[in-house]
Amino acid sequence: MTTKHPSCRAIELDLVATATGDAESRAAERVHRHLDTCAECRDEFGRYRAVDSVARGLRSTPPADALAKSRAGLESRLADLKQRRVAYRIFPSPLGHILVGRSEHGIAVVEYLHGGSSLRASRLARVEGIEPVPGGPELERLQRDLLEFIGGRRRDLDWTLDWRLARSDFERAVLEATAAIPYGAVASYAGVARRIGKPSAVRAVAQALRWNPLPIVVPCHRVIGTSGRLTGYAGDKLGLKQQLLSVEGVKLHTARRDASVAREAMYALGEGETEYCLPTCGSIGTRSLALLTLFASRADAEARGYAPCTNCRPDLHPL
Amino acid sequence: MDLQPFETVVTAHHAEIYRYLLRVTSRSGDADDLSQETFLRAYRAWGGLDDGANVRAWLFTIATNLARNYFRSESRRRRAYAGVGEIRTDVDPASPEEARRFRETRALVERVVDGLPLKQRLAFVLRKLHDLEYDAIGKSLECSPESARAHVFQALKKIRLGLNGHELPMMESVR
Repeated sequence: MTTKHPSCRAIELDLVATATGDAESRAAERVHRHLDTCAECRDEFGRYRAVDSVARGLRSTPPADALAKSRAGLESRLADLKQRRVAYRIFPSPLGHILVGRSEHGIAVVEYLHGGSSLRASRLARVEGIEPVPGGPELERLQRDLLEFIGGRRRDLDWTLDWRLARSDFERAVLEATAAIPYGAVASYAGVARRIGKPSAVRAVAQALRWNPLPIVVPCHRVIGTSGRLTGYAGDKLGLKQQLLSVEGVKLHTARRDASVAREAMYALGEGETEYCLPTCGSIGTRSLALLTLFASRADAEARGYAPCTNCRPDLHPL
Repeated sequence: MDLQPFETVVTAHHAEIYRYLLRVTSRSGDADDLSQETFLRAYRAWGGLDDGANVRAWLFTIATNLARNYFRSESRRRRAYAGVGEIRTDVDPASPEEARRFRETRALVERVVDGLPLKQRLAFVLRKLHDLEYDAIGKSLECSPESARAHVFQALKKIRLGLNGHELPMMESVR
């Protein structure tokens, strides 16, 4: 083998390729021309043909039972993965990068990615029982809805929600009560605590909203302190809260380090009442925000079925 | 990403990925684990896959990566080809004499294939047993199509040398 003629050596690669069905037609022609003149390579060619044939004979069919068992195991693991899977999408927005994630049950997470634009910046990667997977184009609608909402071109996010990231029944109750606060309205942490029947759990409500897994869609930006101050949002992102409230038409007094809702510029709805008032109606101006929902506009109040107060007549004397 | 289209991927490709990994690992338990892991990984990445991607080649790439990780464990690297007995081949030569010769040659070839360096072995199996294109094999092995071709060439050459002095089964004439 080592004393091969140079022309045989030169053609060896093509010879093997031709014998094993892997050569282009011009190389094959070259090889066959050579074989016509070289008995040694003809023999070699035949052996490679045999090698190729035997090699292809290694194609095998695994035992059907082993295959079926493997397939069944796979189906079961896929079903489990499907249950844990949250398909996510990350996109830039005027509020920074946002991650939105959906499970098979509904939207499970909306997250501001402070200072990042990848999954690594997300809490999702560290939540037990969750398997984040990059989502496909089906999440584009969520991105569009959210961007329209943030831009003030959409009032409702009519998404089916998956509450799996709520860490307790209490948290879930807080989130659901918060989700019921209408567009263009604000309520207080104390008010949310009252709505879930735990009027003294004001700090716990604030904590639960601090970990809101679905900001924007569960509008914790509409929950403020009883003083009217915005108090906090998404850690230290009070600016985002201001932006979201401004988009909804909520009037704010902004100071250097804090902001508060301009109560005197908003309509007010007392707890359990069906008529909304001017901020100057009766005692409503001095009533605690724990007992009120404030509306940025008459339309926002009336969209929820509330009627103008028949005493102060906000319909005749709008703000 | 719905499960439905991915289900069709499983149906279409599970058997051959399993077959590939069984050939490469020689153990049905390992083929089981690695083929399942291949499809779980594929499922996770499914939503990000480009339209028009070659799904079959992509699955082989995932499976090959898993196989290479599997063989990084030194203890497995030189393991004998233990699973041959549970594999049935599809080729069935005519005469008993020819069949015997074919079986002997195949056993010899399997021994040589098993002793090949991993990349040559994987390239050989992907090309000769699964008919993958060289650019797909290159992607799987993180090398160029030309290198993939060279791996297969080297593998064939070693098999050929391994058969020196062995009487080969009859082949049709050269042309």
